[in-house]
Amino acid sequence: MLKPEKMVKVSVVGPREDFERVSDILYGLNLLHIEDPVEDEYFKLGEPFEKAGIISKSLVQLRSILAHLKLDPEKFVPRRKYREEEIKAELDRKLEEYRTQIGAKIDKIKELQEKIKALEDELKVIEPLKALGIPPKLLKGYKTIRAFVGFIRADPSPKIQSITSDYEVFLKDYGREYVVAVFVKAEYGDDVYKVLQELGFREVPIPDIEDYDSRIAEINSQISQLKSEIERLEREIEDLKEREAELMLAIEEYLSMELEKSELPLRSLVSKYAFIIVGYIPAKKFDEFKSRVEAETSGRVAVELLEDKEFEPPTKLSNPPVVRDYELLTLTYTTPKYHEIDPTAIMAIFYPIFFGMMLGDVGYGAIIAVLCLLLKRVLRGESIQKLLNIGFYSGVVSVIFGFIYGECFGPFVSVEEGKVEIFQHFCWPILHALGIKEFEPVFDRVSPMGIKVLLFITLLIGIFKILWGFALGFYTVLKEHGFKEAMLEKGCWILGVLGLACIIFGFSYNLGVMNYMFHIGPPGGLPPLPLPGVVKGWQKGLNPFYLAALPLLLIWFVLFVMGEVPKMGAMGVILAVELLTWFGQIVSYARLLAIGLSSVYFAFVFNYLGIKMALPPGMAILPLGIFVLFIGHLINLILGVLDPGLQSLRLHYVEFFTKFLEGGGVLYKPFGRIKKFLE
Amino acid sequence: MAEEAIARGLIAVGAGLAVGLAGIGAGLGESGIGAAAVGATAEDRGFFGLGILFTVIPETIVIFGLVIAFILMFAFH
Repeated sequence: MLKPEKMVKVSVVGPREDFERVSDILYGLNLLHIEDPVEDEYFKLGEPFEKAGIISKSLVQLRSILAHLKLDPEKFVPRRKYREEEIKAELDRKLEEYRTQIGAKIDKIKELQEKIKALEDELKVIEPLKALGIPPKLLKGYKTIRAFVGFIRADPSPKIQSITSDYEVFLKDYGREYVVAVFVKAEYGDDVYKVLQELGFREVPIPDIEDYDSRIAEINSQISQLKSEIERLEREIEDLKEREAELMLAIEEYLSMELEKSELPLRSLVSKYAFIIVGYIPAKKFDEFKSRVEAETSGRVAVELLEDKEFEPPTKLSNPPVVRDYELLTLTYTTPKYHEIDPTAIMAIFYPIFFGMMLGDVGYGAIIAVLCLLLKRVLRGESIQKLLNIGFYSGVVSVIFGFIYGECFGPFVSVEEGKVEIFQHFCWPILHALGIKEFEPVFDRVSPMGIKVLLFITLLIGIFKILWGFALGFYTVLKEHGFKEAMLEKGCWILGVLGLACIIFGFSYNLGVMNYMFHIGPPGGLPPLPLPGVVKGWQKGLNPFYLAALPLLLIWFVLFVMGEVPKMGAMGVILAVELLTWFGQIVSYARLLAIGLSSVYFAFVFNYLGIKMALPPGMAILPLGIFVLFIGHLINLILGVLDPGLQSLRLHYVEFFTKFLEGGGVLYKPFGRIKKFLE
Repeated sequence: MAEEAIARGLIAVGAGLAVGLAGIGAGLGESGIGAAAVGATAEDRGFFGLGILFTVIPETIVIFGLVIAFILMFAFH
């Protein structure tokens, strides 16, 4: 945890005739993260092994079949696995079978679909002609008459009238256009055609048929015949898919593995007789790696530890199971460099707590947790599973905070006053079952005191995390440059932030928050900011925290000037304004309160509206009341997932990570793979 | 008495202005980021999560406004 796994740089060197064998061994070990090599005078990049060509050809064919069958190796969950020997023995026969069976059927289906399309096109021509009601043999084959048959936007008769009075027009409404048949003497043909074109005339070719109805019936029966043929083929393919899916995916996996193995030379250097591969492996695996490779090649291939100046290992995050889910969130921000701290574990603790503090509702939390569990059975992707796990933990923590705040689908309001109360109906039975007879929420965050206390707590968390960030920074500078530098660069800011913290404490003390929480100090009502000359009776507002803040800020300022003035000159003093940034970041944690409050008030408003409508005397509109409740809580739930989720993430990314995490590392990706369809 | 009532009213107006104006400011900030994030997401779907995150960053300003409003309401009544 907190640190990526320790890595060592190794080289694997051996004679070229052992290259394929070594590729097999390395792939099987799935340990070596290969560093992309640079060519030099003697060593050049290798070329793929001979078998690569055949493999990639088979793979392309197989993948196109898989794509047609909608079999996605990422999402498919296999019911059984195959041994590699089984695959090897069957490989050629099965590939041939898939080509002839499935591939041929797929081609056949495509051919039939094209036929159907041609028939449908013909139908599109015949149907309008049928609507016109003139037999096909009367529409063409004239010697002295020109016949125009097609679609047109408007009735052409008036315009044709101006050319000749000797004509015949048949017009039928057909959707947005008309079907038209115009007969004129051949000598007026060209003029009439121009007129028709002005009206958007599109000619329709007249098919060689006797009768519309019999042809339409014929086409329809052909189409349905073709469709049933396609259905039969698809059923057959479906049967094959049902039977062979695991085997096909296993073959795909086997071929992909073989292809990756045969492309190893592209990532290593070869000379006339030797090859060399350089990469990184986890330090604790080195002995196993060395002995396995050397033993399996009878010592012909050497594995050596490299003490290289260019040591830039990939980052392999190593976290325990639950924490591992949160790696997704850390990696979305950046991949930590090998030497940096991996903040995933810290995030795993604080992310759900922040989420719960904001949402803090038994009902919403339970729904989110259950929904995540249900979705986990449906959505199979690796990262979506992690995300759903995170959602589940966050939901559970929200339930816990729901009991602390006493909220279930809205705030805790007592029944006696005749107000809306969902918490009691849902949560009392659970609490009773747990043996808790008396229950009062720890504090009600909607009450004025509740808001003050929670605001104080959120700022406390802010101060704590900002100091933590600076402490991590202090530690780094201390190790690199010694105590004095660390004190001037980071230590002074720790004092400054402590000074700010004391001002915040003093403020809360005068408001009575300390009295409420720890039973010290006045119950409130003192002037919160005792500024002489501005606030009347400021003397009463002076308290130990304010008195402590003064020297802290003074020391901070002196240290800051000592650190900054030699570097920046006298103008460096202005940079002290930066203290306000840290104040801003502390206050930024107040979102833990603010986001939650908005969701509480949303729920409150919807409960109020809905139940006022649903209960007497408004009984008549009960369904509307239930509808308002349902829609309202649905909206609030969606907001309740999105907003706390994002804001909690943001508090980590912006306010915490920036203090110590630079990022931009490379993720550890060993040569090999975790098999899914093979044993 | 009347003076105190006016003072209370002004505090409430001040609190409202603090949240409201901060909200406008944050909205202006988010509009630009949001547009850019949508553009980037159209190019690359993988940017979606990061885009949403960038979009909520200026929301801090509203939080400041809200805290100021709370302080006004609780500390200066």
